Amino acid sequence: MSRAPGSFLTGLAYYQGVPVWRHALIIQWALQIVSGIVVVVLVASFFANITNAIQDRNIPHGFGFLSREYQTPIGQHFLPYESSDSYLYAFGVAATNTIIVSIVGVILATALGIVVGVARISGNWLVSRTALVYVEFFRNVPLLVQLFFWFYIVLTLPPVRQGYVIVDKLYVNNAGISVPWPSPPSWDAALVWMAIALVSIIAGAVLHRILTRREELTGRPSYPLITGGATTVVAAAIGWLIISAASGNAPFGISVPAPHGTFGRIAGGFTISGGLMALLTGLVIYTSSFIAEIVRAGIQSVGRGQTEAARSLGLAPMAALRHITFPQALRVIIPPLISQCLNLTKNSSLAAAIGYADLTNVGKTMTQIAPAVSIYILLMVAYLAMSLTYSLIGNLYNRRIRLVGN
Amino acid sequence: MITVFKWIFPAGLIIALSLAIIGCESGDTEAMQSEINDRDAMIAELEAEVKKMTEEMAAMPDPSGSMMMEETGSRLQTVQDRGKLVCASRNDVPGYGFLDDTGNNVGFDIDLCRAVAAAVLGDADAFEIRLISAAERGPTIQSGEVDLLVRTVTWTTSRDSQWGNYTQTMFYDGQGFLVRKDLGVSSALDLQGASVCVTQGTTTELNLQDFSNQNDLNIETLTFEDTDAVVAAYQSQQCDAFTNDRSQLAAISSGFEDRDAHVILPETISEEPLGPVVPHGDEQWYDIVKAVMAILIYSEAYSVTSDSVPSAATGDTKVDRLFGLEGSFGQDTLGLSQTVAQDVVGAVGNYGEIYNRNLGPGGINLPREGGRNALWADAGCMDCPRGGQIYSAPLR
Repeated sequence: MSRAPGSFLTGLAYYQGVPVWRHALIIQWALQIVSGIVVVVLVASFFANITNAIQDRNIPHGFGFLSREYQTPIGQHFLPYESSDSYLYAFGVAATNTIIVSIVGVILATALGIVVGVARISGNWLVSRTALVYVEFFRNVPLLVQLFFWFYIVLTLPPVRQGYVIVDKLYVNNAGISVPWPSPPSWDAALVWMAIALVSIIAGAVLHRILTRREELTGRPSYPLITGGATTVVAAAIGWLIISAASGNAPFGISVPAPHGTFGRIAGGFTISGGLMALLTGLVIYTSSFIAEIVRAGIQSVGRGQTEAARSLGLAPMAALRHITFPQALRVIIPPLISQCLNLTKNSSLAAAIGYADLTNVGKTMTQIAPAVSIYILLMVAYLAMSLTYSLIGNLYNRRIRLVGN
Repeated sequence: MITVFKWIFPAGLIIALSLAIIGCESGDTEAMQSEINDRDAMIAELEAEVKKMTEEMAAMPDPSGSMMMEETGSRLQTVQDRGKLVCASRNDVPGYGFLDDTGNNVGFDIDLCRAVAAAVLGDADAFEIRLISAAERGPTIQSGEVDLLVRTVTWTTSRDSQWGNYTQTMFYDGQGFLVRKDLGVSSALDLQGASVCVTQGTTTELNLQDFSNQNDLNIETLTFEDTDAVVAAYQSQQCDAFTNDRSQLAAISSGFEDRDAHVILPETISEEPLGPVVPHGDEQWYDIVKAVMAILIYSEAYSVTSDSVPSAATGDTKVDRLFGLEGSFGQDTLGLSQTVAQDVVGAVGNYGEIYNRNLGPGGINLPREGGRNALWADAGCMDCPRGGQIYSAPLR
């Protein structure tokens, strides 16, 4: 219409009647494409540089070693391990050690953090000041220093041959705490029984749900908890008896720890090694001081009116916290809490300093005889996989909380 | 883009360096001048030496004669002309090479140097220690600037071919175990079911596992990143034993307050043979050092100590031959005096005395009997093995 006729180039410069350099959509797309190219070029040149350097300098690489025998000891391990096992399996054993630390650590740190966080806003002056000192002390001292502190504290326990023995079943010394633990005479029977037990639990849970619904719908007392629980216990017990009769042995016995050999090292039962004790204590206390602050912030972010309303309805302070304030605070608490749990998992890699065979400790040992580049790539992938899994679980929970809240 | 970045760093470096040089030049002309003077003096010295050598060459009766013979004789001649033996060693490891309270170089390696000095110069104190780092060992002996390298050097085939000639293993170092005496353990084979502390990052863990597997010991391990943590764990008995190179164990335990409550077990589970190294290309010198080491070993085998060096025939043919009182073991071909063994043993003592003084009870207290550093056989009876591996070519 009003455009100058015959000017093809001018026509190209317009899109939907707007000059392209001012068209919002085109500018957005152009920026996306340019930044995309920048990212791709940077990443590609980074990897090209690495691979070139590895080849130029003849740095050993590759993953062929994974199927070879590892032939090196691993300290404490939760999965059965022999020195003739492969690198890959040894890596798995070490990863299990880390996973156990992180799961136990996250549970304990969250529990402790919530307690301290609530104590922090308590009306009791002494309690809130103690919590304040706890938080400020433990979150302001480097974790490695704290780990060494706990490590040396554990070392002050008596050595294994002069350790504390509690009723001949519990051993406490600087090599660790040993407790009686279920142990199967044969894993086949044990696994069958564990499957039966799982089915019993599911059956009990289903029954519980059905009875609860019936109670809600009809008002007839149906005792869902008692019936469901009894079903589970009875079914599992029947399974136990059948397997005992069939295999001649109970699926699980109790392994009691006892001193063994010339050095009186404790064998049998379950041992939390000294390194694991120090590591867990350090990680839990350090992380809980951060979680406490997150919990405090979460609770305080809930409007004061909510608490006042709860109190005016006649709820006691603790009940008001439990039923009114805390559920609302959870929405604020969960996302930073997930980061703290991820931090705990990653911080467990400091274990090498205090002699616990975690993933990083074993990985570092592997670099003596296996290509270091490959080992560190594996370590990164393993930690990433662990963290992403935790993150996923946390985010799913977070979504549920949010839906309930809204 | 990458190529640009690649150049920025070196370019910056060059600019910084040139700035620094310019800065120095304007300030330190005096230092430069004195350096130039030093260099001139050095050049003059070298020129004089070359001139002297040319004159010597000219004075030789038969210049077309065996060049080989002339060359091989030169190290001994050089040392004797200089009047001093130059040994490369260290002064930071108790027992092997360190400074005593009065500032003297002492130690096992130093004593080997003294023995050679006593042999070629007749004076055990006519030596000079050149202190070098571990990384300097190869270049120092390759260049031939020292006569002898005695600095806890492990004998390996690649070093033997590249660095210099290994003369004789005088100490078998290797991975060992430190335990508390009150455990009543006398051998590493008794470590059945023990918990052992180990530092990460060397092949120590591998050797430990191999040893445990081979002997069915079922050893438990605690792996630490740093030596401090390992030592703390060992001292508070979190583990029963501590494994590392024996020389390391000795040095670490010598710092313990209760060092007498600990003992290093006789077994060695990895190969670290240590001995003196001579520069390549002088076979006579190589043979001389080997002969001196043999003198030290055989004088112990014959139970001759520094206090009982015979100066008149004893009637025991072997002893008399060693001390130059009857026959010969090749002293004249080596270019040594007939009574060289009297000088060496009289001044430094036999192998056992050197060991005890530095590594044994008088030093860092490494046990010897039953281990690899014992003599190969009993003194009076060459067919009665003692289980050790300290052995050399017989002197005859």
